[in-house]
Amino acid sequence: MSITVPTTRQDHRIAWLTALAITIHIAESALPSPLPGIKPGLANVVTIVALVQYGWGTAAWVAMLRVLIGSLLIGTFLSPTFLLSLTGAVASITVLRLASWVPGRGFSPVGYCLLAAMAHMGAQFFTAYWVFIPHDGLFRLLPVFMTASLIFGIVSGIIAQMALQRLRPVEEPAL
Amino acid sequence: MRNLTRADWLVLIAAIALLPGLYLRYWGGEGPAAAVRISASGQRDITLPLSGEHRIHVHGPLGDSVIEIRDGRVRFVSSPCRGKQCVHSGWLSHSGELAACLPNGIMLSVIGRDRRFDSINF
Repeated sequence: MSITVPTTRQDHRIAWLTALAITIHIAESALPSPLPGIKPGLANVVTIVALVQYGWGTAAWVAMLRVLIGSLLIGTFLSPTFLLSLTGAVASITVLRLASWVPGRGFSPVGYCLLAAMAHMGAQFFTAYWVFIPHDGLFRLLPVFMTASLIFGIVSGIIAQMALQRLRPVEEPAL
Repeated sequence: MRNLTRADWLVLIAAIALLPGLYLRYWGGEGPAAAVRISASGQRDITLPLSGEHRIHVHGPLGDSVIEIRDGRVRFVSSPCRGKQCVHSGWLSHSGELAACLPNGIMLSVIGRDRRFDSINF
């Protein structure tokens, strides 16, 4: 006997986007980093594309599934790395929810990416401080981390913008 | 860049403005040396400003150690110990620096306006 779960177009879309985000996430985890905690966060691009194209719900699903499945594949599930990843994703998704309510023209992908990157980094930093290394010396790293998140946030925002420009003619927002 | 909205610019400028503040706050100078705390075993610590010139004799178990304060710096001039590690430490002028004569139970530590770390481990 087989059980068929009816899936919607939205489910498929989330699955595809998540698969893409996980691929980027894993490829990126293989990159060397000058400081633990600093990485480009290109998987964030997928979240922003999902947000702009399909709305916050899709983006939140993609971000959370990416953290969960990405950690299972890399082998960091329930490890400190996973906790940092999770708090970062929750923070950036929360900030994106707030940002998406901004009236008028709101934010462009660059603004969203920057906000998400800084929220991600900030949340990770304070989780690391409160849970793992409650030493004031950690704050010496905060300026470096925030500089990195500013730069990578803008870069991934530009990538997201370029991706969206090519996506729009292909598929009109359906939701 | 022409696609940026007003909200984008606001966030971007706020983020860029935040960074110098962070660097100043957390990397800002060591804080100039302001005073020296002299601890001797069995005696109460004394704190002296580094301004002015002083020559102090501190009594320890082996005898008197001589400490000199001059030009905003401090050093052990002599100590009745064998290794003279304390004397070889030379002048201390930065907040957080230490010199100690363990045999004679005397320690100098330079303090600034803000307390600094003497070591950080990860």
